[in-house]
Amino acid sequence: MARGWRGRRLAVPALTLLLLLAAAPADADPAPAGDADSTKTTQDRPPGAPPAAEPGPAPATPPEAAKKAEPAPPKNLETLTPGEAIGLLGKKVRDAAGEDMGMVVDVLVDGDGQPRAAVIDFGGFLGVGSRKIAVDWRLLQLKQVDSTASVLLGLTRTEVQAAPEYKPSSNPAQPVMVVGPPPPSTGASTPANAPK
Amino acid sequence: MIGRWFARTPAGGAGAAARGLDWLNLFVANIQTGFGPFIAVYLTTQGWTQTAIGVALSLGTITALASQVPAGALVDATANKSRVAAFSIIVFTLSALLFAIWPVPLAVYLAEVLHGLSSCTLGPAIAAISLAIAGQAAFARRLGRNARFASIGNGIGAALMGACGYYISERAVFFLTAALTLPALAALVPLAEPGDRRTRRRRAPPARRQPLGRVLADRRLVLFATCAMLFTLANAAMLPLAGSALTKRAGSESSLLIAACIVLPQVMVALLSPALGGLAETRGRRLVLLVGFCALPLRGLLFALASDPTLVVLIQVLDGIAAACFGVLVPLVVSDIAGPAGRFNVSLGFVGVAIGVGGTLSTTLAGWIADRHGDAAAFVALALIGLAATLLVWLAMPETRPTRAAAANPQPGD
Repeated sequence: MARGWRGRRLAVPALTLLLLLAAAPADADPAPAGDADSTKTTQDRPPGAPPAAEPGPAPATPPEAAKKAEPAPPKNLETLTPGEAIGLLGKKVRDAAGEDMGMVVDVLVDGDGQPRAAVIDFGGFLGVGSRKIAVDWRLLQLKQVDSTASVLLGLTRTEVQAAPEYKPSSNPAQPVMVVGPPPPSTGASTPANAPK
Repeated sequence: MIGRWFARTPAGGAGAAARGLDWLNLFVANIQTGFGPFIAVYLTTQGWTQTAIGVALSLGTITALASQVPAGALVDATANKSRVAAFSIIVFTLSALLFAIWPVPLAVYLAEVLHGLSSCTLGPAIAAISLAIAGQAAFARRLGRNARFASIGNGIGAALMGACGYYISERAVFFLTAALTLPALAALVPLAEPGDRRTRRRRAPPARRQPLGRVLADRRLVLFATCAMLFTLANAAMLPLAGSALTKRAGSESSLLIAACIVLPQVMVALLSPALGGLAETRGRRLVLLVGFCALPLRGLLFALASDPTLVVLIQVLDGIAAACFGVLVPLVVSDIAGPAGRFNVSLGFVGVAIGVGGTLSTTLAGWIADRHGDAAAFVALALIGLAATLLVWLAMPETRPTRAAAANPQPGD
């Protein structure tokens, strides 16, 4: 009986550790999550190719490191040259005047895997008072495809700031409000929601 | 320099130890700044998904909640409080470095847990050192002074970290935080020797220690913890909600206005706290407690009505008043109730759990209401909770000032 009790005491930390370890790979996703944007530049590729293309530097190491027989890298490897595609999460967003417009925190894709909107975290100070706003994908532009450059957003501050907050997991019946392109008449500062 | 200037105010505790305590409060508040909502910003720049960030932040919250009471008990049981403080600060350094160097899941989880644990031992350790240096009679004034220096540290921290994040990088903020733990450690040096001697001398003899269960079941302590929980439930979401409203309404200057909303209350706390500590000693705890709690529903109501950005910043003066009263009175009332029983820190941990629960529920509740019924409704709801907390203090919370002080300085009323 005493042993059983001790076993249970050990089980708690062990379980916590297991949970942590189990959570780790799931959360290791952030970097590859940038796949969403690589589909932009590689739209014509078969599904499944972008993830396979991710571990670019991997083939360099196996010959030395593989003591046991490691599975050979797939034959259908494709390369994305530097400057062809980058991860999008966490990238700074600026408007045409170079003003800080927050950063990309998520990308919304439709059933075909095509990006429809980007969620930007906008404004605030030291993380206080920022707002998450979804903007139409077509308004985003990458001037240079490198990891330090910022994303250009075709909207101004006043067009974004009053838009409804993006809520990720509300009820499925509720539509997501996305800030679309400004109306052609340049109707002052009223933000235009995507007409749908 | 600032330390010498303030040393002339009646502080309780003299000389190098008192000044060391001033600096300790300043630098500890300083290093806490980077660990706030800024972590979410930083992890986003490192390509983290919002879900993963949520997991990391929850882990920190849960750790802090779970370790409050055990950490308090640990500080109660340790004679050398400054060693506990030093150890906590070193763990802080480690946590900041983990964030800065390895922003990968496992390291960030570890850093969150380490930060949760060390903030639970650091707070009570500083309170215990203060009590040892000032003594029970001057404790109220000492706490006022602690709050002054902590808010100066908070203000400086917000300015430094904000500038660092803006001009250098988000990652640099955590290197700066790690670097700022060194002066915090240095501030402990003058506290180590006399502090220990005093602690040993003043520590309640073991025979007078009451069983933990009886102390935590003290009606006044449970009541005070409930008031503190309601206070934070009403308070914690107000600034984020007001900030987000500023982002919505104000133009490119909104970030600066939000910074003002953060710094202005700190200035108020720095100005008011010492006087409030004195007031709590001469006129009683209930008066100061009521002033602080009253500011809360008033602030909620004004936020619901105000739309002008400048007005929103000005309303934050009330936040300063509430924060000054609350910051001084929480350790003071807990020491009134549990100090004589030799259970000060564990009881402080108990109230800390209540505060943590209130803070965690606050943002969820306010966000939920704001989603469905708008910001104004959320502010009114928070104001109503604040009103309930104020009524609870007014109708049920007894005066806790020790009778010894009351006899030396007689006052009408209870």
